[in-house]
Amino acid sequence: MLAVEMRHITKRFPGVLADDDVSFDVRQGEIHALMGENGAGKSVLMSILSGLYRPDSGEILVDGRPVKFASPLDAIGAGIGMVFQSFKLFPSLTVAENVVFREEPTRHGLYDKRAAAAIVTQIAERYGLAVDPAAVTGSLPVGVLQRVEIIKALYRKAKVLILDEPTAVLTPQETDRLFEVLRSLQADGHTIILITHKMREVMAISERVTVLRDGRVVARLNTAETTGEEITRLMTGRDIDLEQSPPKSAPGAPVLEVSGLTCRQAGQKPAVDNVSLTVRAGEIVGIAGVAGNGQSELAEAIAGLRAADAGTVRIAGTDVTAGSVKVRRAAGLSYIPEDRHAVGTAPDADVASNLAMGHHRRPPLLQHGLLKRARLADFAQRLVDRFGIKVAGTGVLARTLSGGNLQKIVVARELDYASPLLIAEQPTRGVDIGAIAAIHKEIADYRDGGGGVLLISAELSEILSLSGRILVMFEGRIVADLEAAATNEAELGLLMAGGELAGAGKEAQS
Amino acid sequence: MMSSSSSTREGKLAGLTGATGRRVSQWLAGPVPTSVLIALVIGAGFMLVAGANPITGYHSMLVGSLGSGQGLSTTIQRSIPLVGMALCVAVAFRAGVLNLGAEGQMVLGGLAGAVVALNLPGPGLLVCAVACLAGIAAGALWGALSAALQAWPGVPLLITSLLLNYPARYFVSWMIRFPLKDPASSSVATESYRPEVQIPLLAPKGSAIGDWLAQNLGSDNPLTVIGKGVGWSLVVVIVLVALVSFINRRTVFGLESGINGLNEGFSRYSGVRVNWMTTRTMLLSGGIAGLVGVMLTIGAPTSRLIDGSLIDTNYAWTGLLVALLALYRPAGVVVAGVFFGAIVAGSGQMGRDLSMSPQIAAVVQGIVIVLIAFQVHPPRRRRRAGPPAEADNSAAAVPTNQAEGA
Repeated sequence: MLAVEMRHITKRFPGVLADDDVSFDVRQGEIHALMGENGAGKSVLMSILSGLYRPDSGEILVDGRPVKFASPLDAIGAGIGMVFQSFKLFPSLTVAENVVFREEPTRHGLYDKRAAAAIVTQIAERYGLAVDPAAVTGSLPVGVLQRVEIIKALYRKAKVLILDEPTAVLTPQETDRLFEVLRSLQADGHTIILITHKMREVMAISERVTVLRDGRVVARLNTAETTGEEITRLMTGRDIDLEQSPPKSAPGAPVLEVSGLTCRQAGQKPAVDNVSLTVRAGEIVGIAGVAGNGQSELAEAIAGLRAADAGTVRIAGTDVTAGSVKVRRAAGLSYIPEDRHAVGTAPDADVASNLAMGHHRRPPLLQHGLLKRARLADFAQRLVDRFGIKVAGTGVLARTLSGGNLQKIVVARELDYASPLLIAEQPTRGVDIGAIAAIHKEIADYRDGGGGVLLISAELSEILSLSGRILVMFEGRIVADLEAAATNEAELGLLMAGGELAGAGKEAQS
Repeated sequence: MMSSSSSTREGKLAGLTGATGRRVSQWLAGPVPTSVLIALVIGAGFMLVAGANPITGYHSMLVGSLGSGQGLSTTIQRSIPLVGMALCVAVAFRAGVLNLGAEGQMVLGGLAGAVVALNLPGPGLLVCAVACLAGIAAGALWGALSAALQAWPGVPLLITSLLLNYPARYFVSWMIRFPLKDPASSSVATESYRPEVQIPLLAPKGSAIGDWLAQNLGSDNPLTVIGKGVGWSLVVVIVLVALVSFINRRTVFGLESGINGLNEGFSRYSGVRVNWMTTRTMLLSGGIAGLVGVMLTIGAPTSRLIDGSLIDTNYAWTGLLVALLALYRPAGVVVAGVFFGAIVAGSGQMGRDLSMSPQIAAVVQGIVIVLIAFQVHPPRRRRRAGPPAEADNSAAAVPTNQAEGA
């Protein structure tokens, strides 16, 4: 019997077809993995199932009955609860208060604190979710917050639990505990949908797998009958040609030398753990890794946005270990950050200002110590023309641009420095295929112009098509240094999941 | 109110391509005139309760603010500190620096100016200039203290700047009550400054220009009246507005601070040192507040610093409102500042004409301000939202779900 059936779901956002005629079903009482690369449409699909978005077309059946969700409240009413990656809890309230929020047990019309605590304890003990109902939520580690979210969903009588990348924030031990919880939930008749791209976990816990790519279902598999390699290939195998020409010349002098770089975080293992790497002029070095394994922190530490606890950073020969972002940029750094809305642009500022930032400290924008609106506009227009950015004018707010065009703003601004080193972090996340091809070409041209690129991406196809050398990052450390020509997606996928090469693959899956 | 405000903004955008007439009518249907109208109706109710005729009341309010030479003069006098304090808040908020300490920076500036004016010998103009510089320095340093506390040990500037108002306020009060108290006077005030150290009036009675204006235009002519009542502080504020506008548009600091206010993450990433930016912003903002304090202290016809005189006017807090209404733009600050100056001037006149108690006049004034404030746009801060499809995971989903309270 099917617990959930989604038929022919299509969801379109401006400029992006997130889900394209997706049909997806989950059997009663199974643990079902929904897999796909970033932007494959899995989170949007689950957001539709949990009532956050409404599909443009298609229908949803729960326990065989058609349903329409206007809000997450409707979905939870139908027994579907979602545990998001970023938790939605009130940090100042206790665990029990968070769990019963909006459905508080009452006594004589007043909130019954003791009953709430009893409810939480009862659910927690039943499924092995160790929490203290009286603890203030803000003081708890993420692993516990996740349990609180699960209890919250169970309190609302969720029969189907959707977990979005639940292990992304967990240590391996916490992951093991979570899996025990999931198995006991399953034993109690719950159905679980797991959004993930960690192969090892899928192999360990799921019964069936649905793979999405570019908004379409590419495979429905029984976990027992497939392999990590096959799923990786299905997830990443793009048909469109994103191959870039190989570098025209051999790598030159080092433009980035990182040695022993370590970023600790309170109460957890280091985000960046003793990382050493070198990027030379005229080469692209890719860093592959599952999100949350320290790649973002590494990029931030190199850019000067995050303090390092140990190690040195040299950019184009200059030791910038103690330098600010400004010093590092002056030494020859440009940086395409992962989050273009929060870091790469000011969406509420106009396009001209967004393109000017960083360039505004020197000619041609700064003349006689002063800026001028007209010069900013001219400069912006030049970049808009050169990079084919589609905007109504350089005076419009950046937030009005589509994702791909906004990303092009970031790429255009950073490439125009023509600095020796470019850090490109997820340079094509969430942009359409056309923009991906354009951005890839720009990065390859930049390399051929003598720039050195550190490319950080969760997209293996991107890493493989652009990089000369590939480093794999896992739990803050560089665990492999490979020639791009001598490796493949399956091998990288295993390394990214913490597995080992040469016959150890099967072991990592079990 | 919220929805009507946003629809008006769209209306304004559409109006850019349409006819001016449509724009005007759209603006008239918008939140500002609506709030004013509602405020006037409610104010009329209060006047009836207080036993006054609202029509007479509003008539004298109009006459006392814009409809007469004396009214205009009073409006300008009230507008000068309002525009100045609004500018102080605007430069800070535009940079994302939530300076709520304008009042403390202003009163310390005023005190510093008074101390110089009382004690420094020498030519009047020089003493006046030194007093202004001392006031700017006092306000700037008091402001920078909050910035320093945010840089280390990391106390939010919003909190320190607000709390630092209290020591400033009471220190100034103590100074006036004890060390600076004029023993010869019964009121709690300093001694009077030498007349020549005051910031002079534009064209006072007895001066060449003043007499020329009185002879050629008549003593009731608005220009003559304004010349007699308004000081050179007006020129200072006009220069200040121009200066801030120039800084915003033409300097590296101006571009960086505007970006910093819209998205601090982006400005940091672009190489702006945020702590240093905050410090410079607080120096500028506090300096402006200090200068306003000096102008209120030694600007003619004020001849001494009276305890509470800087705080009771509420210029700092009304200035905050003016800055919010003006969306931190200098030109907008002038328009909104003069509007509030006119309300303050007019309600004072209304109280006198109708021998209404000053409290009722203040109530009417307060209602107008509150209702205008309803359409205040919140400070423009970065919002974390983009086309939802891109935030592959839950980032885009957060706001919606929180709104649902799930």
